[in-house]
Amino acid sequence: MNFLKKVLPIAETQLNMANKSALHTSAVCCRVQSGRYRITTKRDRPLTYEMANPPHFIGHRKTWNSWNTSTLKDGLRPSQTAIEDVFIRKFITGTWHALVCSEIIIKRQHNTIRIAAIIRQAISPRKMYFLIGYTEELLSYWMQCPVTLEFQTVADKKDVVFKYI
Amino acid sequence: MATNLTRLLESSIRSTNAAAVQSSMRLFSNQQQQHQPEDDDEEFRVLNLRTIRQQARRREFKKEAVQPPRTKRMAVDQDWSAVWSGPRSFHPASVPLPLRQGYTERGAAAPSKYANAELMKIPNFLHLTPPAIRQQCEAIKKFCTPWPKGLETEAKWKRTFPLEVVTSDYCHSLPTIRNPEARRVKITLKLSDLQFDAHAKDKFLRLVGERFDRETGLLTFVTDRCPTRKQNYDYALYLLTACYHESFVTEPWEASKSEADMEQYLFERNQAKRSAEAILNWNASREEKVSPPSGYAESVEQLINEGENEYNIAKYKEEVLKLLKIAI
Repeated sequence: MNFLKKVLPIAETQLNMANKSALHTSAVCCRVQSGRYRITTKRDRPLTYEMANPPHFIGHRKTWNSWNTSTLKDGLRPSQTAIEDVFIRKFITGTWHALVCSEIIIKRQHNTIRIAAIIRQAISPRKMYFLIGYTEELLSYWMQCPVTLEFQTVADKKDVVFKYI
Repeated sequence: MATNLTRLLESSIRSTNAAAVQSSMRLFSNQQQQHQPEDDDEEFRVLNLRTIRQQARRREFKKEAVQPPRTKRMAVDQDWSAVWSGPRSFHPASVPLPLRQGYTERGAAAPSKYANAELMKIPNFLHLTPPAIRQQCEAIKKFCTPWPKGLETEAKWKRTFPLEVVTSDYCHSLPTIRNPEARRVKITLKLSDLQFDAHAKDKFLRLVGERFDRETGLLTFVTDRCPTRKQNYDYALYLLTACYHESFVTEPWEASKSEADMEQYLFERNQAKRSAEAILNWNASREEKVSPPSGYAESVEQLINEGENEYNIAKYKEEVLKLLKIAI
């Protein structure tokens, strides 16, 4: 026991030292990558205007893709709105497969949801009209409110390219 | 062969020119778009005596012709509110304006309106042009009633409608139109619009407590305990009515208010009055008894309620001299 009495304070100081050295003292780890694109060696990565401007330019060079009042202070049902927006985006990119050339813009006004996007003219207008009706019908059933699609079409995918990096 | 080629070339040039003219010119709505018929090349048909085996051609995928933008066919004097009747995302083919939007490096032109997602994102007011607003105002004018006579100025309608009700409506982009904040009702009233006697006013102010602002003289009731606005409004009016009528009720225990409970010195119920009367009615018979003058009563009340200051003491001295009929 006497031995322990001698050893304990030393062990304690050792432990304290160990705790101190466990502090992270390397370079600051604040690298952010999301929404930013790496430059390729051939400089052939196509970027749209939205992709060319990183997220910190939102509100300066580009605007938000979702417009609603839930994000205001004391806005109601913010989480549900965010989840619904994600669902709408996934549903539209899946339904209009390989046709959507831009981000999907979701604007909410009172109980209406207006969805805008840029679509490639790769399918016939008949199919496009069918898909518009189909998307509006299903989404309005799920969201329990009127949904309007306001699409713009481009002939080629390259029309939306802002620059190559 | 050469003549054929030149003719073909000429005709193609002519047709492209015509198309260019047609696309660049935008006319008034009553003018007809002129369309030049293409002159057919009259060629002799070739008689083939030897039959050539038709090769089975691969079916080509026929891409349907895309319509040119609608803006090229718009008349310059068209009814814009018919083109853009309601709120809608920007569409370059329907807006005949050379818009540009977006940030570029110095020297480069901003991205044009075609395939520009930034223009589609921002809310536009193309459906709220001044003519459209005028048109809509004209349409709803038949539902308006004239402003009531005799209520032209604020002072006039304040006198007729002393009660002010403040509620808030919330517009938001949700499937529901309810907002719990909308239930709050605030009613404001000037205390001078209510009629009281001294006891009732004192009791009313005690009942309403913090709801009365002494500086502005405004009485404010804010109710939010009921779930709907209607209930809260009714409750606020009930509170006001109940407080007003309750203030006129004198409970039996109110008579037992002793001198220690008084919040203000009153000359009428104090020793000062009795002393003054005793001095004035020294050796006087019952009929000749007089009460101290009101000026003296006022000065005593002022001296005790407001505290001793130069003015109050001077006034008190003057009144005492007057009461005792001492001339200096």
